[in-house]
Amino acid sequence: MLVATDLIKRYGSHVALDGFSLTVAAGEIVGLVGHNGAGKSTFVGIVAGLLRPDAGQVTVAGLAPRRARQRIGLAPQELALYQSATVRENLRLFAGLAGLCRAAARRAVAGTADELALTDLLDRPVALLSGGQQRRVQAATALVHTPDLLLLDEPTVGADPVTRRALLQAIARRAAAGAAICYTTHYLPELADLGATLAVAAGGRVIARGTQADLLARLPAEVRAGFGDGTERVVRTHEPARALAELLADLPQRHAGLRAVQISEPSLDDLYDALAVRDG
Amino acid sequence: MASRVPVLVRHNLILVAREPGPMISRIVMPIVIMLVLRPLYTSALGGQARGTGQVVVGVLVMFSLLGMSVVGNAVLTERAWHTLERLRASPANPAELLLGKAVPVLVLVLAQQVVILGVGIGVLGLPVPDPGLLALSVLSWAVALLCCGGAVATLVRSHAELSAAVDIGAALCTVLAGALVPLSAMPAWSRHLAPASPGYWAMRGLRGALAGQRAVALSSAGVLTGVAVLGAAVAGFRLAHGWGRSRTL
Repeated sequence: MLVATDLIKRYGSHVALDGFSLTVAAGEIVGLVGHNGAGKSTFVGIVAGLLRPDAGQVTVAGLAPRRARQRIGLAPQELALYQSATVRENLRLFAGLAGLCRAAARRAVAGTADELALTDLLDRPVALLSGGQQRRVQAATALVHTPDLLLLDEPTVGADPVTRRALLQAIARRAAAGAAICYTTHYLPELADLGATLAVAAGGRVIARGTQADLLARLPAEVRAGFGDGTERVVRTHEPARALAELLADLPQRHAGLRAVQISEPSLDDLYDALAVRDG
Repeated sequence: MASRVPVLVRHNLILVAREPGPMISRIVMPIVIMLVLRPLYTSALGGQARGTGQVVVGVLVMFSLLGMSVVGNAVLTERAWHTLERLRASPANPAELLLGKAVPVLVLVLAQQVVILGVGIGVLGLPVPDPGLLALSVLSWAVALLCCGGAVATLVRSHAELSAAVDIGAALCTVLAGALVPLSAMPAWSRHLAPASPGYWAMRGLRGALAGQRAVALSSAGVLTGVAVLGAAVAGFRLAHGWGRSRTL
């Protein structure tokens, strides 16, 4: 659905994207992670047709982004809603701009509002909603026309747990229905909840790409053993069972008994830190 | 395009309707001022027709210039709410976005002028020898206001700056236009400066239309069209060069 190849984007002397490549298939959720300044938002801007790359190619369903806007749903990082308009009016605007006729727009607004628990808020001005509710409205404006590609740029920033859960469920449903989803975030557990594949961005390009299991397998687990004399031994290994067996085999040589053993599997945060630090 | 412009027009009309105060005040106040000051103008200018013409056209120009704040706010709120980027990412093309924004605001500016002229004609008995010519003058002035308002909105960095720019600009243009005091009664130096004010050409065109002077009305409409093109060019340049991404607001 989304194919980006060797994108380069410069702002003066600053290189925001430096050979950024990423593909997102229909039905796939790709978690795009990286530190601030890694190029995530610039990439989203290019795919949304808001920015032109200096080099490289990007297509959405085989079309240039500007020609594929009807098939793209964008929820930018910053809240971008008409504050004096109601939730219904905001949703109706974006449904109408996507080409939905009045009847279809009415149905789409009702369906999306139901999906994101906004039905009771439809006739309230956005300015009167809480931050979490506005986040849901923002996501709803991206979902309302059932796009083939969803670009969600940190959609859960500042969201309460209820909002976060509602958003993640809606995203998972859209992916299950065949939408391609590019989801940028700093909250890595969300990506685990979504079962997303990962793309780690650093220095303006994707430095690692794959399923969470594949990427996590690159990192060693940590085996931590505490002994009765207060000493501790930490072993980082890809074979924790073997390391533990070796520790136990060493016990007779020690004059203190084993007090505690802890085996920690690598987390997404560890992966993110390892990759970003290595690249940086 | 046909389906998206009405969507945008309807949405922008809703936004304007949510904040009716400024426009209502700019329609009610000139009517009050016209009715109160008319005796003074007819007495000072030595004739019912002359005095009525001066007070109606002068007040119309003055308050339509102040009405530019409505135009400016309509543009500026798109930046304050970060919605311009959302619209740019939508399937609507720039022409549709521009039309969708401009039509409701133009309707407001025209409505203001139509109400003021309606009171002048219906209540104060202002004669209209050529309604078509008057309509052309009103339309050219409305378009010039729309484009200048758009330009000002893209040059300022905040609502406070917009308010200051419109207040100062409108006051200067009003005075130089001869809207408060006829140009003939103003100092010679100000008469030389007067053509620099778009309001001067509005006064000239509207007066010419009300006097049935076709050439005067048409040439003034031509100048106002030029002003509109200049304003649109400034606004277009600013919009195309990162105005919407400014973080000043």
